[in-house]
Amino acid sequence: MAWINGTTIAMVLFAIGATALIVRRDLVIKLLALGLINSSGILFLISVRFHPQMTVPILPVPDGVLIADPLPQALVLSAIVINFAILALSLVFVMLLVERYHSTDCERIEHAVETEKATLGSQNLATISGSDETEGRP
Amino acid sequence: MILALLPLIHIFLGMAAIAWKACARATLIIALLADIGLVALYFSPVSHVLSATAAGGWTEAIGIRLMLDSLALDFLLLTVLLEAAVLIYLWRQRLHPTFVLLLQFLIGAVMALVLSQDLFNIYVILELLTLVSFLLVAYDRRTFQIWASLKYLILASIGMSIFLIGVAIVYANVGSLGFAEIGVVVADNPQAGWIPLAAALLTAGVAVKAGILIFSLWLPDAHSAAPAAISAFLSALVIKMGVVVLIRLAHVFPLGPTLKILGTITGIGGAIYAMSSRDLKRMLAFHTLSQIGYLLIGMSVPEYGAESGVLAYAMAHGSFKALLFLAAGAAYDVVGSTDIGHLILERHRIPLRTRSALLLGTLAIVGLPPFDGYIAKAPLLAATHDWTSQIVLILLGIGTAASFAKLIPLFKGPYRRVGNDPAWESYVVLALPIILFLPIERALFGTAFTLPVMSWFLAVESIVIVAVGWLVYRIHRRLRVRPSERLFRLEPAIFALMIGFIAIYLVLRFL
Repeated sequence: MAWINGTTIAMVLFAIGATALIVRRDLVIKLLALGLINSSGILFLISVRFHPQMTVPILPVPDGVLIADPLPQALVLSAIVINFAILALSLVFVMLLVERYHSTDCERIEHAVETEKATLGSQNLATISGSDETEGRP
Repeated sequence: MILALLPLIHIFLGMAAIAWKACARATLIIALLADIGLVALYFSPVSHVLSATAAGGWTEAIGIRLMLDSLALDFLLLTVLLEAAVLIYLWRQRLHPTFVLLLQFLIGAVMALVLSQDLFNIYVILELLTLVSFLLVAYDRRTFQIWASLKYLILASIGMSIFLIGVAIVYANVGSLGFAEIGVVVADNPQAGWIPLAAALLTAGVAVKAGILIFSLWLPDAHSAAPAAISAFLSALVIKMGVVVLIRLAHVFPLGPTLKILGTITGIGGAIYAMSSRDLKRMLAFHTLSQIGYLLIGMSVPEYGAESGVLAYAMAHGSFKALLFLAAGAAYDVVGSTDIGHLILERHRIPLRTRSALLLGTLAIVGLPPFDGYIAKAPLLAATHDWTSQIVLILLGIGTAASFAKLIPLFKGPYRRVGNDPAWESYVVLALPIILFLPIERALFGTAFTLPVMSWFLAVESIVIVAVGWLVYRIHRRLRVRPSERLFRLEPAIFALMIGFIAIYLVLRFL
């Protein structure tokens, strides 16, 4: 079972996340899938140079012992924080959308946004053709 | 260490704007003056203080390297120019401190990105750019803005995850993340099995941010939904940050054929959509795609002089695209719509200065001789010798002219003095490099920047291209064909991103 390691699990997670992002219409599930994809990136980065015999990279290092590479461990900290920020902010925006449309269905929201944009344009058109009389003002 | 000040000043001043709300506007001026001072240092006798450093006193192997090369300098100058123009544009408006904070973070992140020579640092800064522009696009909290920026965040986040996996593969095989070390290892063994996969992952990840058609399908919505000043920043500068990373990657990995294919698809696809778009801001956003195609094709050309052409074109595009977006915003403020037919109907109410700015931007973007669009396009046309790239560049020119021919009625009379454009000074700032591009570049870069612009053949060629573009517009108007915009919805966009990544990998592996 040596093939079940961080790298392969990361690939499987990425595939699951990508599939869910494309086939599920619910925005919240889409964001969960996005989180899965982001986590798979983090898992991949941290497991890419790992070996089961490695120990923690803390000084002093005893002789003849393999230590894990500390650099990816430092890097994933930033990646985790960034992904947290992205998920939090996008959830806020989904909340705003739900407040206005009472739905988390992606296609419905997209349709509503497009019709709203179209009616917005024609409303402006109405106000402008109505204000033609006031054209002579300075 | 002075190099690190360039981005840091913006970050600190942005936070100062939140802490002292009354000084929010002043921080923008201080930041602009500091930037001008620091960039001017490069041209002064003490320019050695700006030499390359690893931030924080680490060794070069594990530290983050910052370097001010010609690529970085070019984009720093563009940033300072846009900063000045946008500051003047926003001057008479009420600025909320949060808006100032986000704007400062955006500029600081751009500066950090162009200086950075480290892959992971680039990942972090690209994510910062995503977050900040995500908030700025939806700053007015209109529903279509929220949806556009949510779409942007989801797509960009997928792209950045792909990029991170590429970073991991590079680190596993090189043991370092600096471009210099990666270049050495790749040049040592260019046939190594990991190179196509890593290059495909990194390119596909950045392509989402760089405005490449099958990857950045969020772009038309986000750039047309944002407030005018933000649109100008995003379209003229932030989108180029992906291009900067692509240029740096192309120095290290063998990306030539991939960039040519991507450039062709992006350029021609963007031009086709721009031709059938009836909304001014949306058309400008599609145009950003087609102009990125120019840059990519220029990057794929190995001949000497092509890269300076790419840099010049990126700079020129920054100036005229920002001018067009700012003027479109001013026109929207008067007319209340950005629909082109509607703007033409109401053209007598648009101030003359706004219309002149739109006219100048149009003349520059279609590449007519005295303006910077032509001067920057000429070296690209002159440096490409293979006929496929030549044909694509000419088709792109025709597409540009054909889509901007829609605006011609906007510039017809009556020329009555109506109202006053409050932001006309910002047009002057942007018009300077558009009209005086050649003298300015010569003064800044000296003889290193020699362009074959005085050739009569190129001048005639560009005029003929514009004329053909006008004919294509007349024909296209009769045909009334419009490509479907369903592709730009969220799910097709995610699907296209995945397909595009696999396509890039196959091209890199087998071509």
